[in-house]
Amino acid sequence: MRISPEVIGIVIAAIAVIWIIAAFNGLVALRTRVQSAWAQIDVQLKRRHDVIPNLVEAVRGYMQHERATLEAVTQARAQAIAAGGNVEQRSAAEAVLAATLGRLFAVAENYPQLRAAENVQLLQEQLTSTENRIAYARQFYNDEVMKYNTAQSTFPRNLFAGMLGFSPSAMFTAEESDRANVQVKI
Amino acid sequence: MSEATHSPATQQRFLPRDRESFLDAQRCNRRATWRLSALCVLAVVVMGIPLALIVTPLIYAVALIVADIINIFSPIPPALWAQAEQVARFGFVAIGWLTQHRSADPQALALGAAVLLLPGIALSLFLWLAMSVLFERSGVGGALVALNAREPNQDDLKELQLADVIQEMAIAAGLPAPRVMLVDAPGANAAAIGTSPEDARIVVSRRLVDDLSRDELEGALAHLIASIGNGDLRIAFRVMAVFETCGLLVTVINSPFGSQSRRTLWRIVRCGLGGAAKDGGAQEAAAVADLLTRNVSLDTDDIDRLFDTTAKKSMFRSIRNFLFFPIFFTNFAIKLSLWLFSLAVLGPSVALLWRTRQYLADASAVQLTRNPDGLAGALQKLNEDAGSIPGGDWASYLFIVNPGRADRMSSAGPSARQKEILAKAWAASTHAAGTTPQPVPGDFSTALNEFTAKQRAAFAGDSQAMARLHAAAKELGTLDPSLASSIPDPADLVAARQGDRAAIARLMAFHRAQPESRSQDQRTAQSSDISSVSPVSFHPPIKRRLKRLERMGAHVNLDSRKSKVWIFVFVLSLILAPLFVALIVLFLLLIAMMTMASLTFVVIWLAVIHKIFALVAHH
Repeated sequence: MRISPEVIGIVIAAIAVIWIIAAFNGLVALRTRVQSAWAQIDVQLKRRHDVIPNLVEAVRGYMQHERATLEAVTQARAQAIAAGGNVEQRSAAEAVLAATLGRLFAVAENYPQLRAAENVQLLQEQLTSTENRIAYARQFYNDEVMKYNTAQSTFPRNLFAGMLGFSPSAMFTAEESDRANVQVKI
Repeated sequence: MSEATHSPATQQRFLPRDRESFLDAQRCNRRATWRLSALCVLAVVVMGIPLALIVTPLIYAVALIVADIINIFSPIPPALWAQAEQVARFGFVAIGWLTQHRSADPQALALGAAVLLLPGIALSLFLWLAMSVLFERSGVGGALVALNAREPNQDDLKELQLADVIQEMAIAAGLPAPRVMLVDAPGANAAAIGTSPEDARIVVSRRLVDDLSRDELEGALAHLIASIGNGDLRIAFRVMAVFETCGLLVTVINSPFGSQSRRTLWRIVRCGLGGAAKDGGAQEAAAVADLLTRNVSLDTDDIDRLFDTTAKKSMFRSIRNFLFFPIFFTNFAIKLSLWLFSLAVLGPSVALLWRTRQYLADASAVQLTRNPDGLAGALQKLNEDAGSIPGGDWASYLFIVNPGRADRMSSAGPSARQKEILAKAWAASTHAAGTTPQPVPGDFSTALNEFTAKQRAAFAGDSQAMARLHAAAKELGTLDPSLASSIPDPADLVAARQGDRAAIARLMAFHRAQPESRSQDQRTAQSSDISSVSPVSFHPPIKRRLKRLERMGAHVNLDSRKSKVWIFVFVLSLILAPLFVALIVLFLLLIAMMTMASLTFVVIWLAVIHKIFALVAHH
């Protein structure tokens, strides 16, 4: 029995269609992961804002003479929250916040009682963890973006990824101010 | 070779061209996983064929007897009998070809093989699926109860750090954060247990948290979370189900002889019908899983009892033994082939597969932390003082480093005399605690069961149970002070579970003070684990893991001197290899003989029973 060319053509077309559907769904799944990774960064930034008032309260009693530093931290936090959805302002405010927190911990070095106080240690651990979480959330975001962009730009998906409305996502890169090594003494 | 010639060699290892990115390492290990999975499937097939050959006649026997019984009440049309005979003929053709080199045409041969193998294969597959579903549904709660795990205390700096690190690593891996449970055990180790990323839990011993720095803790936990993210839990589950299915087969075949097997079967049925998701049900499932995997090993409890001359003889028992005589051969054939194949074929291939998953988890952990030094440091520290966690023996393959077999050997549990005293103290404490007196048999296992139940109640805050525990401890103190000193204060255990730091410190000090043989929890029953079915360890050697981490950029000071031990090992294996091959061939011959004997006896036995039924039906 001979297989007619029409049948072969139909089979090949069916395989191609199935493959395109699978590739499309795969790209959509990757894009969703990228989006949720981006949302995760925001969640962790918010956590930082939530931890800071507690920290300031806890150290206030020990650091009567460092009111200015504490004020700076509180203010930077308020600015970061006020920046809201504006990405540029927001990232600038977050950078300022990280810097003032660094100064706070540097100053705290001068207060041995403070460093020994248990609840301050716990709070410090929370803050360290928060900073780590932000860093890891960004790392995860970048990893996912890398996967997503690679999937889009490799042959043969690159032939139709643009047509189907997929575009490469931007990686998260450090601001210039972040690159200047911030000294966080913990 | 002098040291001077070595140092350039060690430095050369850090050249960039020798470095391997974690992504490459992951890709390489993923490919190896595919290869080894194929090997495992092949191993299961190799092991499955003799098993199916042994089990199939029994299925036919059951079917025939059922048909005979139906035939008495409502006669089965002769056409059906004729058809069954046709099917049977194909089987005999295949047997004849196999044993007497009788010629047969390929089609009949294939049909014969199908007749001889398919029912057994279908039954095994069905049991495997049932086991997977059953134990997956019951989850891991039972295992945690056995471990005496507790939640971390948020007010303790180290434990807060642990909870934080787990959250961080889960974020880095993009997974839901697994629940973390702490165990106040003397050994430093950690494990990820569960059935899926959603219900995964991480069990960490308090010692690990104390010993490791934050970076190292991060590395160790990243390994576990990466392992969860890579889907290792599911793989472990499926593999466990294979061994449990083997155990179930043995249990079913044992059941005519042994009450123990019947009890196990009954528990499985109860598990399947009722206890899902609840802690009690889960614990039951864990216990049953343990019993099943233990059945794969060669200790034939129930069969031993059959030949136990001291057991009292009864008319009923001897008739039963006579009736089920052919099953004895079947039983022996199955046990022998299971033992040989799981030890020589399935065990090693599963172990190699699992090792690859560990390497993969290491590489993924480096991706999560971007700090290979953390994991390398943790591994180096754990290499020195890794310990097992009491109650975690059944899952030693899930731990980050091998909990060590030596510990298991030394903890033989309490001696017979100690058992007697413990049981006596427990029984005596019934009255002392002022609870309602109940008839307490002076049996150690009953006392043990009651004790763990009371302990659980005390953990949940039952003051009466607490009083009972105290009374038992006091009784024990009067009966045998030295034994009493080897058991921790129950009040401390309860307080430690609620996160009392002083109590934890007392417990740790207590465990450290115990001599090595007693450091294991004496109340945990001796349990077998899956890694005992393989001569190859389920954990890759730490040295090799460190070497791979070094290639990914970790700074480890491995001593690079090549030991010459491998030459001896090589020569030794050259001498021993033929011996082993001869041994395996011998075993295979024995299995073949046993299979043939089982087949013959079952056929004769069936013929006799069938005739009896035919006579009954005739009248």
